[in-house]
Amino acid sequence: MPHSTNAPRLGDLERVVMERLWDAATAAGGNASGSTVREVHESIEQDRDIAYTTVMTVLDRLAKKQLVTRERDGRAWRYLPADSREVMTARTMRRTLDDMEVTDRRAALLHFLDGASTDEIADLKAALAEVEARAAGGSAAPGSAPPPGR
Amino acid sequence: MLPLALAGLAVALVWVAPRVLARRTSLRRSPRAALAAWQAASLGGVLAAVSVTPAALPAVLGREGVADHPGLVALALLVSAAVIARLLVSGHLVGTRIRSARAEHRALVDVLGARDDHGVVVLEHPTPTAYCIPGRGSRVVLTRGVLDALPDDQLAAVLAHERAHLRARHDLLLEFFTVLDRSVPPMLRSPAALAEVRLLVEALADRAAVRRSGAVATARAMVAIAEGRAPELGMSAGTSAPVRLRLIAAGPHSALSVVAYALAVLAVATPVGLLGLAWL
Ligand SMILES: [Zn+2]
Repeated sequence: MPHSTNAPRLGDLERVVMERLWDAATAAGGNASGSTVREVHESIEQDRDIAYTTVMTVLDRLAKKQLVTRERDGRAWRYLPADSREVMTARTMRRTLDDMEVTDRRAALLHFLDGASTDEIADLKAALAEVEARAAGGSAAPGSAPPPGR
Repeated sequence: MLPLALAGLAVALVWVAPRVLARRTSLRRSPRAALAAWQAASLGGVLAAVSVTPAALPAVLGREGVADHPGLVALALLVSAAVIARLLVSGHLVGTRIRSARAEHRALVDVLGARDDHGVVVLEHPTPTAYCIPGRGSRVVLTRGVLDALPDDQLAAVLAHERAHLRARHDLLLEFFTVLDRSVPPMLRSPAALAEVRLLVEALADRAAVRRSGAVATARAMVAIAEGRAPELGMSAGTSAPVRLRLIAAGPHSALSVVAYALAVLAVATPVGLLGLAWL
């Protein structure tokens, strides 16, 4: 989808801020205490122009979406990613794969493929052979034509 | 007589037609026409149902008597309004749930992967998967696993498939049938109907993939993704993928679409005609 403006999209900034928080958490190892708005702002400012208040707004949005948690530290907030990037990715994937029995979910996200059992994969391969045979030889019987090389 | 005919038609279109259409597997070879027939049958069923009481008025009271019984007229319209209200309420509930699920999912996806100029997001995950988040701010989501597993022509097929969903707003179609399903009493629901519509939508998107990359690349992409995902899923069954592959192998069948379109026109025109006759 083309975008007419060159201004950074808020969604992009959310990702950039999340990445800084993840990086900070990784760098701190087990005893990560989170980052303040000022720390995140300083980190991003090394690469691009960004207003302090923008970082504040973005962190606030991320907290509302429960993607980050925050704790008071004196007069400032310290922000932490709600989960590691890996855990969050796995959770996102699980939602796309597991909740398939729910009709609403099926209408919410459209998947290229729903899950297949081992038997069904065997069946799929047989069907693939039919497609390949048809493409290779036109009227050739399934299985009689050598599958074209990949 | 006419109100009875309309009631019968409503039952036929709401209850019988989905069961008959779901069994006409040959229609799958012209998915666009088949979907038109499905939509028309549902729409016709709703039209027939809301027309029963308005058609009963002149039959019961006589054409001149209608003006003398405003109470009965109001009651008849109330019954129709109740049917429409039922649809609107489920439409609102289903729509709200779907949109919030999408928004929540999109928020996750957007912080996890950068979106390119074409609205494609890549998730760093080894399981090969591709899907789209339809609606406002639509996205196509691919995993690192699918990028690694598929050669370019197969990847292009997958993208063409997902883009076809987004471009043709297949999500609205699925939402429409989900709403209808929720609106009727549970005993009238037909899970097979919903599954068939879902399959037709996939078959239609597969067409776009075949046009982009050919039947073989599209079929191989399906098998590769199915294989890559199997270990995580264990015992899930009932995929439509083998059916879709055989539809790709069989190719389109345009003669059938004429029949499907004729049925579609009939399904909508009949209730309208019957209601018209009642008042003529
Ligand atoms: Zn699809």
